Amino acid sequence: MLLLAIVAISTLAANSARQLRYSAVAFFGVALAAHLIDDGSLAAAQVVVSASAALVASAILFVAARDGRFGEDPGWRLWVATIVAAATTAAAFVFLRPETGDEISASLVGPDPSGVTTEVAAFWLLSSGIAILLTARGAVRGSLGALLMLTGTQLLVRLVPGPHLALTLLLSWLQVVVALAGAFLIVNQRAAREA
Amino acid sequence: MLGVAALFAFGVRKQLRLVGTVTLAALAVAIAFVIALPMDAGGDVLDLPWRMSELGRLAAAVLLGTLWLLVLAVWVDEPAYNFFPTALAVAAVVLAILVLTTPIAIYAALLLGLFVPVGSFTFQVHRNRSAEAAYRHFSFVALGGSLGMAALALSASLGRDQAPATFVLLVVILVVAFALKLAAIPFHTHAALLASEVPASALALYFGVLVPTTFIAFAQILVLSGLLPAIVQIGKVQDLLLALGITSALGGAFLATGSTELRRVAVYSVIANLGHSLVGIATLSGPGIIGAMAIALVTGMAATQQLLAAGTLERRAGADRPSATTAPLAALAFVVGGFAMIGAPPLVAFPGHFFVELIAYSYSGWMGTALVIATLGVLLAQLRAAMAIFRTAPDRWQVERRPVAGIVGGLVFGALLIGGVQPDGFLQPIAAFADEFLRALHPL
Repeated sequence: MLLLAIVAISTLAANSARQLRYSAVAFFGVALAAHLIDDGSLAAAQVVVSASAALVASAILFVAARDGRFGEDPGWRLWVATIVAAATTAAAFVFLRPETGDEISASLVGPDPSGVTTEVAAFWLLSSGIAILLTARGAVRGSLGALLMLTGTQLLVRLVPGPHLALTLLLSWLQVVVALAGAFLIVNQRAAREA
Repeated sequence: MLGVAALFAFGVRKQLRLVGTVTLAALAVAIAFVIALPMDAGGDVLDLPWRMSELGRLAAAVLLGTLWLLVLAVWVDEPAYNFFPTALAVAAVVLAILVLTTPIAIYAALLLGLFVPVGSFTFQVHRNRSAEAAYRHFSFVALGGSLGMAALALSASLGRDQAPATFVLLVVILVVAFALKLAAIPFHTHAALLASEVPASALALYFGVLVPTTFIAFAQILVLSGLLPAIVQIGKVQDLLLALGITSALGGAFLATGSTELRRVAVYSVIANLGHSLVGIATLSGPGIIGAMAIALVTGMAATQQLLAAGTLERRAGADRPSATTAPLAALAFVVGGFAMIGAPPLVAFPGHFFVELIAYSYSGWMGTALVIATLGVLLAQLRAAMAIFRTAPDRWQVERRPVAGIVGGLVFGALLIGGVQPDGFLQPIAAFADEFLRALHPL
């Protein structure tokens, strides 16, 4: 639950930041906390791969900012995104959670084999990402939204039986490519605006 | 090999002669390797299973061959150094999608492929809206991709005793996510902006290679994910697919008819044909599936042919309207590309349209009629475009310098003609996939 709280607060921090560099650092916090949530199947190799990809993605956005002041002021979009994300997370949890019949164990620290913490974090990240992406004016918040959605998706993929390490590697590459594409768009949009 | 070549090409992308040679050679080796690989060859990479199916081999040969022609055209006619590593990365992803057998891995590879061209969409950002078009594409892919993959992951972790409403919701999300990526109407606004703002070669890469790959990935994911039996039981999902297909077919044809730009005519014709393909898949029948896959593959080739020709005509015309007088071979390539777009015989484009329209009529009279009207709309749009290009005629026709678009168009037309004369070679692998699809539909 502690990690879930860190995910929620870091998401709010990333969403509310006016500077891209703060958003990038906050995103790394979100991703790290999300990948450390233990649903009983957590493997060190997967955490290392996912955390490395999150670090690279954050570093790419950090460098793309070029200076500490560059960013996008969320303004009213912050509140819309937060309210929509909170409502959607609750609705998604009610409608989409697999009915496993397992007992829900919600301790402050320690693993949660029922997977509830992982699912709530995933739904929160997906909802926040959608809300940020849909209300974004440009590539700065668009990239943040895309990365948050992808992190939420990574959490849900972790719950699927199958070749976990291979899927983690594939999704980590995807995260880096999303960050690269986002950074490319940020640089180009900035160049177009400043011309 | 293609991935390594893409990294190498990125490193030397400004040395056009080297990067062009490496890209063409890598693609040629990949095509030869795919053709030489025994049927049903397979294995595991990091516990991720792969298998070379008959459809995989056919689609790989068609899509990588299309990419080869595209790279050749860009190298000779419109040097854009970002294009070469992008093309190689897309080739690697296309091959991965066609051979992987894990639905989530296929989906992740598809998203990689759809994000990679963002770099080749933007050019001269001070003078046009290509950066905005690329951003909109990025947003649509991120939204559709994450939602679709999340829905797929959730449905894979569902128990059999799950409430049907949950399942319906997840499958609907998956279908809408693919509609976003396929630019199916009404999710086509990013495609409209791309059509008018990005370079023709990048547009051809997207609509000629990536969109057909997305459609194939959609069909493969349906088969491999085990979702098909439930789709049959819940008629709503099938109805949704049919509605999306009919809307795209009619809407694409309508928009193509009203377009005055050549590249828009080509793009909307692709959207109309993808509507046909969606209807074909939605009928959940053998002929429908064969027709759908055949249309997707042939439309990709025709789109490449038409978009390259449109790019050449626009470049040669400068500020004037594109005309056959400046590039007659490119104009001819555009016009004959229209034959494939409407599914005219004797091209191999014909059987796909015939199967889908036939099965649509047997499904319901109005659906078949709607598809025929859509085809007539595309025909009208192509005729208008052809008349606009050939409106003025010079005193003496003279072939343009470096007629690359014309040559590429001729090669594509030749391939489609050979396929039309020998349709078994093209349709047999697709029929094998249709068998798999039907088996997945009604598992024992």
